[in-house]
Amino acid sequence: MSEVAVRDTMLSYISGSIESESQTVAIRAINERGRDVLHNTSFPTRKHEEWRFTDLSLISKNTFTSVEEADVKDFGDISSYYLPEALESRLVFVNGQFNAELSSLEGIPGNVTVGNLSEYGDHNAVKEYLGTITNYDDDVFAPFNDATFMDGTFIYVPEETVVEAPIHVLNIFTDAEKAFYATPRLLFVGEMFSKSTIIEEHIGLSNNLYLNVPVTEFKLFTGAHVHHARIQRDSKQAAHISRPIAILDKNAEYHSYTICLGAKLFRNDPRVIQNAEEVDFTVDGLVLIDGEQIADTHSIMDHRFAHGNSHQLHKVVVNDKAHSIFNGKIFVAKDAQKIDSFQENRNLLISDDGKVNTKPQLEIFADDVRCSHGATIGQLQDEEVFYLQSRGLTEQKSRELLVYAFALESVESMEVESVEKMLLDEVIKYTNRDDK
Amino acid sequence: MSEEVKALESMIGEEYKYGFTTDVEYEDFPIGINEDIIRELSSRKNEPEWMLEFRLKSYHAWKEMEEPTWFNATYKKPDYENMLYYSAPKKKPQLDSMDDVDPNIRETYEKLGIPLEEQKMLAGVAVDAVFDSVSVFTSFKEKLAEAGVIFCSISEAVQDYPELIKKYMGSVVPARDNYFAALNSAVFSDGSFCYIPKNTKCPMELSTYFRINNMNSGQFERTLIIAEEGSQVSYLEGCTAPMYDENQLHAAVVELIAEKDADIKYSTIQNWYSGDEEGKGGIYNFVTKRGICKGENSKISWTQLETGSAVTLKYPSVILKGDNSIGEFYSVAVTTKKQQADTGTKMIHLGKNTRSTIISKGISAGRSQNSYRGEVKIGKKATGSKNYSVCDSMLIGQECGAHTFPYISSENASSSVEHEATTSRVGEEQIFYLMQRGISEQDAISMIINGFVKEVLKELPLEFAVEANKLLDVKLEGSVG
Amino acid sequence: MLEIKNLHAVVEGEDIEILKGVNLKVNAGEIHAIMGPNGSGKSTLAKVVSGHPEYEATEGQILFNGEDIIELDADERAHMGLFLAFQYPVEVPGITNKTLLREAYNTIARANEREELDPIEFEDYIESKLEVIDMKDEFLERSINTGFSGGEKKKNEIFQMAVLNPVLSFLDETDSGLDIDALKIVSDGVNKISNSENAIVLITHYQRLLNYIKPDHVHVMMDGKIIKSGGIELAEELEANGYDQMQKELVLNGEAQ
Repeated sequence: MSEVAVRDTMLSYISGSIESESQTVAIRAINERGRDVLHNTSFPTRKHEEWRFTDLSLISKNTFTSVEEADVKDFGDISSYYLPEALESRLVFVNGQFNAELSSLEGIPGNVTVGNLSEYGDHNAVKEYLGTITNYDDDVFAPFNDATFMDGTFIYVPEETVVEAPIHVLNIFTDAEKAFYATPRLLFVGEMFSKSTIIEEHIGLSNNLYLNVPVTEFKLFTGAHVHHARIQRDSKQAAHISRPIAILDKNAEYHSYTICLGAKLFRNDPRVIQNAEEVDFTVDGLVLIDGEQIADTHSIMDHRFAHGNSHQLHKVVVNDKAHSIFNGKIFVAKDAQKIDSFQENRNLLISDDGKVNTKPQLEIFADDVRCSHGATIGQLQDEEVFYLQSRGLTEQKSRELLVYAFALESVESMEVESVEKMLLDEVIKYTNRDDK
Repeated sequence: MSEEVKALESMIGEEYKYGFTTDVEYEDFPIGINEDIIRELSSRKNEPEWMLEFRLKSYHAWKEMEEPTWFNATYKKPDYENMLYYSAPKKKPQLDSMDDVDPNIRETYEKLGIPLEEQKMLAGVAVDAVFDSVSVFTSFKEKLAEAGVIFCSISEAVQDYPELIKKYMGSVVPARDNYFAALNSAVFSDGSFCYIPKNTKCPMELSTYFRINNMNSGQFERTLIIAEEGSQVSYLEGCTAPMYDENQLHAAVVELIAEKDADIKYSTIQNWYSGDEEGKGGIYNFVTKRGICKGENSKISWTQLETGSAVTLKYPSVILKGDNSIGEFYSVAVTTKKQQADTGTKMIHLGKNTRSTIISKGISAGRSQNSYRGEVKIGKKATGSKNYSVCDSMLIGQECGAHTFPYISSENASSSVEHEATTSRVGEEQIFYLMQRGISEQDAISMIINGFVKEVLKELPLEFAVEANKLLDVKLEGSVG
Repeated sequence: MLEIKNLHAVVEGEDIEILKGVNLKVNAGEIHAIMGPNGSGKSTLAKVVSGHPEYEATEGQILFNGEDIIELDADERAHMGLFLAFQYPVEVPGITNKTLLREAYNTIARANEREELDPIEFEDYIESKLEVIDMKDEFLERSINTGFSGGEKKKNEIFQMAVLNPVLSFLDETDSGLDIDALKIVSDGVNKISNSENAIVLITHYQRLLNYIKPDHVHVMMDGKIIKSGGIELAEELEANGYDQMQKELVLNGEAQ
């Protein structure tokens, strides 16, 4: 890679040095690696195929400082964000920094490890896997996280262990004088036949600009099952660029559900790698945006071995001047026979100024497969609206109800009751325009 | 299954029948590309000054452009400096009738199944025969003229209808549109021109038959079809080339203009030489085809059966500018051996209540790579518009790949887009079902493939359905059409 | 007509044996029923006899009119007059029923040195068969099984059987998924086709089909073998007591492993 001028890199939009390093050896090595890549990789422009439709000016027209230099404001009680199912299995990070007082881990079984990454640098799983699963070509955001993260979530579930309570990873972002950056990190290692549920949340407490760049790495051994819900309720001024990746061994099951409600600019690149035969995974998404929000999902379902099932249902509602982008790739490598993969992207465009780009993409190199995708962009059916009106609802109410019904399917896969309920409230808040 | 694969591959990868060479005496022309060569080419064709200027401007634009690489294919770049840009058989000064066409060339077309004598031709089809860089013969000109239809080579049109050419050439595909279009605009040698006057239904099918013969020449033809208000025309092109070990470049530009209520149907049966088992030789088919539905209620329909060429990059498109206009794209792309095809369409909706339909069927066998790449764009003002797309791929064998890259966007709340795609193999269970009914394996596969592509082939003009069927080696009468 | 001797079969390329020594004899003019629980191998038997490439016969013989047909392809077996009504009839988009049947009929005729029918003759012939299964004309012009309901697919199988006039037919769970009216129509069709020259083997899980088509012989299949044969009373016994009960009794009597 050739040296590029400094003004073209991610660092152009960062004020101050990113040279500080973690005290934890395992993390420090990754910090160094990240800085190397950052110095040598251009910040993306629309000429990059992967960024063709995405307006990154929210980042490129601003400068972000470290949290330390941002003059962060105090914040009040956040207990309303706690999940009743996870009262004793909760990790709280404030602006990317671990907060031990707000966290509570009493409910975690003794043989399971859940805690701050920086305290587990000597754990074998950390040494072995941290930073090895993420691999995005020509990317600046994962390396930015690499370069700057100090804290993070570490979850290790040993063989045949079932963690009953959902593990709640609560990322809180506060108001500040200056725009700052935060780089939450998560490493999950699930040993053979383990089972766990992770609820990863991003919540902006105020309406300020910040740059949230999380990286999550999931390593699932044979027969491990993971349910991973990701709920993004960042500040509506914030930028959120995430890199969640999972790698699956034989018979592993990984089901992920990403809900996008907040952020002015949201970009999510989920990637699931089938690294052995007979896996099953889901990469669902629900995006509800309005105002001038941009929500962009670039997913990859990467089948490298035979006998895999994968499903993706990506639902989007676009209102006002919002813009949704979806690029879903299904890869099936040569010899990865008997793959059954299905992808569907459904968009509801309910305003005249909104915009939807979608590109479902199949790349198939094996012949004994059944892959399909569908994409639709449309509106609520007049018939349906009329039907509800004929039952006495106003047109406005009818439309709200239909949008609610459209979003419902995705919410129902949440499994954790309080999360479902919270999301239903969010959906109602989104659809009910009169209350705004 | 491996037996079945072999049977199928032998069926669709059947030996290329059109690989022979014709012995023809050519005019001398210098190799390479520069301003002088373009001047020479233009003067050879006795072109007016404005045409030369168009070429030179295009040439300079091309010089500044970079050869694109975004598609899903890899190939050795053509050596533009060592290519022959004009390859015309020596001819008699006056070409009054069929008798004046070089007998070798006449024989060539007969071997290809395109007799040039009008009495031998399919009734109801007028043919323009393009041999390397020049049009050698156009049939039924007089009959068409009676209806007011102009059908001639583009070189003749430059001489005889300069106002039409000036107005329309480059209006749909500007010279700067892309690298290959710019090159074509600089060096195009010949091609077909059709003009259908107002409220006229063209009395016969129009067809151009392209043949590359000379080993060193590229082929850069240009087709321009103008359908005036309320007119209707159906046009078909066919293409073949001899088998050479060297790759040859075919970079054509096709422009279609449909005025209010006009209807253009453009069909292609592309069977250029595809190279050998190892991927040696074959045509690079880099073609820019675009139509504009200029007026209200106009319609442009592209149908293509693509079986040849080593590398195909081709995206016949429709700009739906007029309100209520309709764009259609029906495609069957078959790749075998080491062929690479990256093909699809663009439907750009600008007018209100515009409609487009895309039906694409890809069949990949051998070690080939077959990609569908398409764009559907519904603009902010194109309210009430609709698109429906189906892109299905069928894979045969373990060594090939099928890829789907649809770009879809919408910017208004009263339009809808529906896209669906599947990739699957020729089903073992389907083959067994048909065999259990007594049908042989090869016939069973042939039936399944025909069933897969039927939706598209039925769009071809009736007169050419036979040729299309032969090309896919249809064994069963009645299962297609 | 058909004699199956000690037939063993596996899924192609795998070791697991699905048929573990099947013996069966079928004569002209007979109707047989093979009953068994799910996974007993009864559908596999029909597929192996008709030459499905997914299965491999590892031992034994399938004698059809005295000739061992194990090495023959599915189409060659069909030419000899073997027919399989599929449990899950396959969809083949783009090819009409009529096209398939004309091609199939004439291919079989050619193989047997019988006269082929030209399109007009075939039209008359096929029309005459529509009533066997109470089908409408338009059925002929639809793509094979594409977009058919479950019942229509099953009816279509019996219609094809009527047109091709096979010597020996296996009907693989033809009754499953049929409502009572459709079951009557299908059964009625099968009874019309049955005569002293041909034979029919019904494969079914339930006894209800046998209320409409009376078999001469009933066989019970379990774990890849025929464990008991008898008359219609065997089916009634099964209906009353279930497969588990029969297996227990057989074990008690030392008739099964």
